[in-house]
Amino acid sequence: MRKVLVLVPFPMTPEQLDLRRAQARAAELPPDIEIHYRPVLAAPSSYVSHHDYVLADISLLDAGLDAQTDGYDAVCVDTVSDSGVAALRSMLDIPVIAAGRTMFLAALMLGRTFGIVTMWENWFGLYERILKDLAITDRLAGMRAAGVEPDNRNLLGGKDEVLPLLLEAATLLVEEDGADVVCLGSTTMHEAHAYLADQLPVPVLNGGPLSYQIADAMTALGLVHSRRAYPQPIVSKAGMIRAMMEAAAEVEAEI
Amino acid sequence: MSRVLVLVPFALDEDAIAHRREQTVEVTLRPGVTFDFRPVLAGPTAFMSPHDWALMDIALFEAGLSAEEDGYDAVVIDTVSDSGADALRSVHDIPVLAPGRASLLFALSLGRKFGILAQWEPALARYRKVLDEWGLRDHCAGVDHFDTPPDFVALLGDKAQVVLPRMEAACRRLIEAGADVICLGSTTMHQAHHYLIERLEVPVVNPGPLSYKLIEAFLALGLTHSRRAYPRPLVPKRAMVHAMLSAAAGQDAD
Repeated sequence: MRKVLVLVPFPMTPEQLDLRRAQARAAELPPDIEIHYRPVLAAPSSYVSHHDYVLADISLLDAGLDAQTDGYDAVCVDTVSDSGVAALRSMLDIPVIAAGRTMFLAALMLGRTFGIVTMWENWFGLYERILKDLAITDRLAGMRAAGVEPDNRNLLGGKDEVLPLLLEAATLLVEEDGADVVCLGSTTMHEAHAYLADQLPVPVLNGGPLSYQIADAMTALGLVHSRRAYPQPIVSKAGMIRAMMEAAAEVEAEI
Repeated sequence: MSRVLVLVPFALDEDAIAHRREQTVEVTLRPGVTFDFRPVLAGPTAFMSPHDWALMDIALFEAGLSAEEDGYDAVVIDTVSDSGADALRSVHDIPVLAPGRASLLFALSLGRKFGILAQWEPALARYRKVLDEWGLRDHCAGVDHFDTPPDFVALLGDKAQVVLPRMEAACRRLIEAGADVICLGSTTMHQAHHYLIERLEVPVVNPGPLSYKLIEAFLALGLTHSRRAYPRPLVPKRAMVHAMLSAAAGQDAD
């Protein structure tokens, strides 16, 4: 049995975690893969500013730090922002799958260009960071937003009015911007995938389930990120990272 | 149960196909997916000139043309050249996996830059062409080769002791040039994969087995290529394509 740890970027109640878990059911994984979800201890309220990005990186690094010693075969980071991925790769010898970059690279296996449909424009900065890092900005046909503030914990729950707005934005990506493939801008949008995939004339990529499939491929092929691209630290400060996040969780509990 | 058609780019007999099929035991595949291997009817004898590339395109296109009506759920092209893949995508709704493009893109999820291991000097032109075509030149640390003419039938055959160290040396030059990941430049190199991963400090992407895992993923997620990128022909010429390859096979037999 292979065990995959999915890191969830916000602290969650069990009910909220179930909403994330629904992604594993959509992924149709082989029977010898178990997916476990682990939320971070504390997090920024949203991922819209550089203040948030730095907290997101540390919180996800902490959440995945023990994955290898806990017996996991791979880690998936359940956010298209890829927060914490590079740092986790520098410390783990098991594959760490980044939902964002994996999705954008897979899009280029299916078409010449891709577009990103997302909840609100405040997330555009996250995608720009990844595309610049990957040097594939020239393949982006466009980014479009539904203009709705996301709920990172309860996802789209009860917000059916969001679906037509997402469809309108995604249609513009295809018809006006020339996207051959549409990527969902957040794993929190997975509930919209079936609706959009039914309505749009191009493939629609759902980063969360795709990342689980790639975890299967990487573990089956024995592939891990390159140590040359992600060098280990000379002195690991794992204890310091854990202490920081425990302190962060305490501050949050007091509020 | 899903059926995948793997298209073999040379008109090989059953023994030689068996070498190709070995790639499916190099990786754990899902119980519900079967892989059938089908060689082309005819084709070029080597793969080093635009003459060869043109023939390879039409040969693989023809070999996969009936995949959908034959009941297959997906097609994999068993060559990193991705010959015939674009044409097949234009006529099929089922996913057609192009291992060349897929392995280079996949390499970028493992490191910043990849290096491509080519067979010999005459093969280099083809890689330069695809790197430009796919816009991946900036992501490539280099293309190097191990100066050995390819044997598309026996693959490494009895030359392994001589060839494997040369392959390793070429990979080391690529790492020296800045490659974080090595991509094997041909599915015919799959027999060297184990030797290389035991000796190299960077990941080595083996395009054949990777393409089988990716097609499993695409099937599970219901993904296929974009029709906008691969528009259908106004008038499909299926009969013409089949007739052309039957004629080519007849010519070869003569």
